[in-house]
Amino acid sequence: MKYNITIGWLYPELMSTYGDRGNILVLQKRAQWRGIEVKILPISFTTPLSSINKIDLLFGGGAQDKEQEILISDLRDKKGTTIKNLIEKNIPSLFVCGSPQLMGNFYEPAVGKRIKGLGIFNVDTIHPENENHRLIGNIIGKIQIPELKNELVVGFENHGGRSYLKDSTLPFAKVIKGFGNNGHDKTEGMIYKNAIGCYFHGPLLPKNPKIADFLLKKALEVKYNKKITLDELDDFLESKAQKAIANKLGTAL
Amino acid sequence: MNVLLIFLLKIISRSIRTLNLGNGSTWPGHLMLFLQPHFISSELAFSKTKVIFIIGTNGKTTTSKLLKTILKKNNFTVIQNTSGANLMNGIASALISNANVNGKITADFALFEIDENIFPLIVKEITPSYIVLLNLFRDQLDRYGEVRTIIEKWKKTVSSLPQEVILICNGDDPQIAYLGSNSNHVVKYFGLDKAESLPSDSFSSDSLFCPKCFHKLTYSVTYFSHLGKYYCKHCSFKRPKVDLTNAIFYPLPGTYNEYNILASELTAKSIGIPNENIENGLKSFKPAFGRQEIIQIGNKKVQIFLSKNPTSFNQSLQTIQKLNAKHILFCLNDRIPDGRDISWIWDTDLSLLNTCPHIYVSGDRVYDMALRIKYEGIKDVTIVQNIEIELTEVLKSLPDNETLYILPTYTAMLEIRKIILGKKIL
Repeated sequence: MKYNITIGWLYPELMSTYGDRGNILVLQKRAQWRGIEVKILPISFTTPLSSINKIDLLFGGGAQDKEQEILISDLRDKKGTTIKNLIEKNIPSLFVCGSPQLMGNFYEPAVGKRIKGLGIFNVDTIHPENENHRLIGNIIGKIQIPELKNELVVGFENHGGRSYLKDSTLPFAKVIKGFGNNGHDKTEGMIYKNAIGCYFHGPLLPKNPKIADFLLKKALEVKYNKKITLDELDDFLESKAQKAIANKLGTAL
Repeated sequence: MNVLLIFLLKIISRSIRTLNLGNGSTWPGHLMLFLQPHFISSELAFSKTKVIFIIGTNGKTTTSKLLKTILKKNNFTVIQNTSGANLMNGIASALISNANVNGKITADFALFEIDENIFPLIVKEITPSYIVLLNLFRDQLDRYGEVRTIIEKWKKTVSSLPQEVILICNGDDPQIAYLGSNSNHVVKYFGLDKAESLPSDSFSSDSLFCPKCFHKLTYSVTYFSHLGKYYCKHCSFKRPKVDLTNAIFYPLPGTYNEYNILASELTAKSIGIPNENIENGLKSFKPAFGRQEIIQIGNKKVQIFLSKNPTSFNQSLQTIQKLNAKHILFCLNDRIPDGRDISWIWDTDLSLLNTCPHIYVSGDRVYDMALRIKYEGIKDVTIVQNIEIELTEVLKSLPDNETLYILPTYTAMLEIRKIILGKKIL
């Protein structure tokens, strides 16, 4: 059977701070290499809700503060309900860098008013006044998603905001080396149903192909309503690149 | 006090160079600023030297070298900071090494390339006569922060400067043009005047939104990244009328170099240098190290294109593709001067690479670069684990009369030059 999926990409022109496009490339290629047809739907101010409703996988990258300000009312007030419904329907999603802040309860910037989020994740984010205290560097963690439990995830983080998980919200990963959500509680990111939010910024998926495959698998399972096993791919370079970061951080794999 | 310190630091710095321990382009200044925090201002305060600042993400070194060549052709004496040594310590070092026996600077012009973050600090020490504002692209987010943060700092800095300061601005970069149009200074603009858009690389664009009202800009022509002819449908903001669109002579290929050449010519014109001398200067120009520098090795060649962020990377690729490159080596490092975050490689446009038969990758982050190429759908890539050992092999396998094009990040560029030329530069 020939599968096909549509990947929605939130505001590529506004939410692409640093290599976010890498995630789209990886999802697209890993699907195509397995014979799965992929359509990329860039979501902009003018995208109709009916198109967003047909998305099988959703991705959001990082926005600069000003860009965030430009898009938040369109994202939250016009498209918020539709996006929340997708997540409730188990549509897999990945939000990296600054976008999880917008998907939480609120984001309080260092300067300016508190921005209300979409409330997909039960998470509060506060940006401390001192802009110089950004959390920057390579990071490695253990994934907490049941299907990928204790698999490693590596990447780079660079954020001013500190996020705090509320009630029983589950983290995406436990930090081994790096800062994570707030630099204190060793949590990194958050999950809700098949949605993943994390501070890993830019190209998370190239070095973490298992997460890419998790998203693709879930997208197909939800769309075709059956158990899916993806064909194995040669991930030699991916695992080498992942090990290189682990070595850099002094974490033996 | 300064005279004695300058004398001492000069001697120490010379011995360091003789012993091949480095070239002393930063630390003498570092030490001096530790002892005399306002050394830079005191050194230049009573000097007749006119200071020119060159700022921007890409093209600082090449533009400085172009302008220096023109000024020298006009018989001006010129001092400048060493390429890349563009922090306070680099500028102080340049002053130390160029001071005369009385500890004074006597050159007609001081040409300083200035780091994006240092610009607000250096104007507290020196008021320049001219500021050349080249462009602003995303670069080393871990070090510089977001593009918007930088432009805000620059705007504040420019508005704090006295009115006599002349700004030479890139009119094709909306952020730079907005900064110019908002200032009280004399502003001259350079820009391209091509009727047709060049192949777009919009993944790396940072400023597609109006810097005045934040609505989306409309481009009638795009050159690369966010440079082009633009206007805002929502407010009155548009590309300003530009004063210079064609240079007398282009000594370097590549669209990005057209901007550098225009910037140096427009500055020279503003200084009052006659066209003839500008032309002679441009014609005698030799590229700065690592910036399209050609190194001849027997009957083979290596040409180095410093590629340190998406825009410079894309521009390098476009240029070497026009040169029909068949052998390309990428060298990706992630040390502090390169930026520790290599995410930017995913904002590059590798579609041009499909036509290149021999691709090599190397550097601290060799596997990240290999992955980037893999996900472009290109299968045949050679991993060069240890560049110091394996570069010779790569060169051996290169057919006679062929060129190996190397696209390195900053520290990789220094490393490769050192391997090829057998000496240290910085």
